[in-house]
Amino acid sequence: MSRELVTIKGGRDGFRLLVDSSASIEEIEAEIKKKLDANPGFFPEGTKFELEAADLNRSVKKGIGQILSQHGLGVALPAKKEPAAVSVPAPAAEAPPIPNGGIQHDGNVTAHEMTVVEHTIRGGEEVTSHGSVLVMGNVNPGAQIIAGGSIDVRGTCRGMVHAGAWGDTSAVIIADRLMPTQIRIANMIARSPDVMEKNNFAEQAFIRDGQIVIEPIER
Amino acid sequence: MSEVIVITSGKGGVGKSTTTANLGVGLAMRGKKVVLIDTDTGLRNLDLLLGLENRIMYDLIDVVEGRVEIKKALVRHKKYENLQLLPTSQVKDKSAVNPADLMVLCDELRKEYDFVLIDCPAGIEQGFQTAIAGADTAIVVTMPEVSAVRDADKIIGELGRSEKDNIKLIINRIRPAMVDSGEMMDMDDINDILAIKCIGQVPDDIKVVTSANRGEPVVGDSDSQAGKAYENIVGRLLGEDIPFMEFEKEGFFKKLMKAFKFSKD
Repeated sequence: MSRELVTIKGGRDGFRLLVDSSASIEEIEAEIKKKLDANPGFFPEGTKFELEAADLNRSVKKGIGQILSQHGLGVALPAKKEPAAVSVPAPAAEAPPIPNGGIQHDGNVTAHEMTVVEHTIRGGEEVTSHGSVLVMGNVNPGAQIIAGGSIDVRGTCRGMVHAGAWGDTSAVIIADRLMPTQIRIANMIARSPDVMEKNNFAEQAFIRDGQIVIEPIER
Repeated sequence: MSEVIVITSGKGGVGKSTTTANLGVGLAMRGKKVVLIDTDTGLRNLDLLLGLENRIMYDLIDVVEGRVEIKKALVRHKKYENLQLLPTSQVKDKSAVNPADLMVLCDELRKEYDFVLIDCPAGIEQGFQTAIAGADTAIVVTMPEVSAVRDADKIIGELGRSEKDNIKLIINRIRPAMVDSGEMMDMDDINDILAIKCIGQVPDDIKVVTSANRGEPVVGDSDSQAGKAYENIVGRLLGEDIPFMEFEKEGFFKKLMKAFKFSKD
C-alpha cells in the first residue's frame, strides 16, 4: 500500500491522528490496530488523540473511538465534556506501567478525569488512575494510590501516595491528616519521619524548588 | 435464629482459637446450642484448648468426604452438653476442604444449633476462603501491635471483597500498663485505623495460658480479667449493651510492695 490511510503525529499539545476520509471504516480500523499492535505500550493508557480528517462521518468517528478505547486510549474532542468517572480500585494486573523517571507526556496531562473512591482504602488495596483521585475515607497503611493528577484524602492518609505519577510536577497531595509512609510527586520521593507526629489539621504536599514540601492548609 | 460466625485474624498467634473456645463455652454457659468447627486442617488445636483431644473419633475431612454423618463426628464437651466440637484432621492439609463443602455443612448445622463458630486458619489463602464461605458474621481478632493491626486491616478488606459486610472486632492481649505508658498502641488508634465495630477488649492474662494447658477455657473464671472480658463479649453477641471494662493495672498491695522493692518484677 503506497498511501498511508492513518498517520499518528506527535505535536506540542499531544498526539494527532490523521485519517484519510476516503478509506472505509474497516480499512481504518485495521490500520489503527496494526499501528498500535506494532508498538504495544508505546502510548500510555489514557492517551487521547486529536482526530484530524476532512469530513469524517459520525459512524466512522465513533468506530475510531471504539477501537482506541479497546486499547485503553481515547479521542480528544474539542470542548469535550468530562464526565465524573466513579471507579472502583483497579486490580493490580490492569494497572499501567509507570514510566521510569517520570517521563513527561505533555499531551496527557490535560486529560483529567477524577476517580472517586467512596470508602476507606485498606492495606493491600491499590487505586490507580490517570487523573486525580478523591478518597472519601482513610488511606490505611499498606494501601497505595497512584494518580496521574492530584490526590485528595478526606480522612487520614497513612498509606503510600504517588501524585503526578506520569510526570506532572504540579500535582499536589492533600489530606485531613497527612501521615503517609511515603509521598511521591512526579519523580520525587519523600518518606515519613521515623517518629510520626500526629497533627490535627489538613496539610498539602507539593513540589517547591525541586523538593517536596508540606504545608498546613485551610479546608 | 441461628448465626454462623467465623473468627479470623490474618496474623497467627493473636488468639483466634482461644477466642473461639472461650466464646463457645461462654455461649454454652448461657444455655445456647453451640457447635465449634476447627478449619485449621493440619494444625488443629481447638480440641486441645477444650480438653477434648482424647475423644476425637472422626473429623471434618471424614464428614466432607461423606464417610460419616456430621452427628458422628461431633465431640460433646465434658461439662456442657449443648456444646459440640467438629475437629479437623491433623494429617491432611487445607486443600482437603473447599468453600462449597463448608457452606453445605454450615447450612446443615444451622438448622440445629443457635451458634456455629468457625475457627479460621491464619493467612489469606485457601484455608481462609474456605473458613469464611458459610459465615454470616466475621469476628476479626487483633492485638495492639502494628503487624497484627496491619493484617487485620488486610483481612477486613478481603472480607469486604467476599461480600461479608457484618464484621466485628476483638482486641486481644492488651497490656494496660504498656498502653498507659505509650509503649503499646491504644484502643483509639486501632479503632481509628480499622473503623469497624469493636465488641471486645481482652487484657493479656497468664490465666489464659494456664487454662489452655488444662483444657478449660478461662471464660467461667471470675478471678480472671480475660475471663470477664470474654463473658462481656458473649453478652454483646447476645445483644446486650455492656460497657467496656476498666482494666485493673496493678493491685494496691502490689504497688506498695513495689514501692518498697519487695516485688520481683
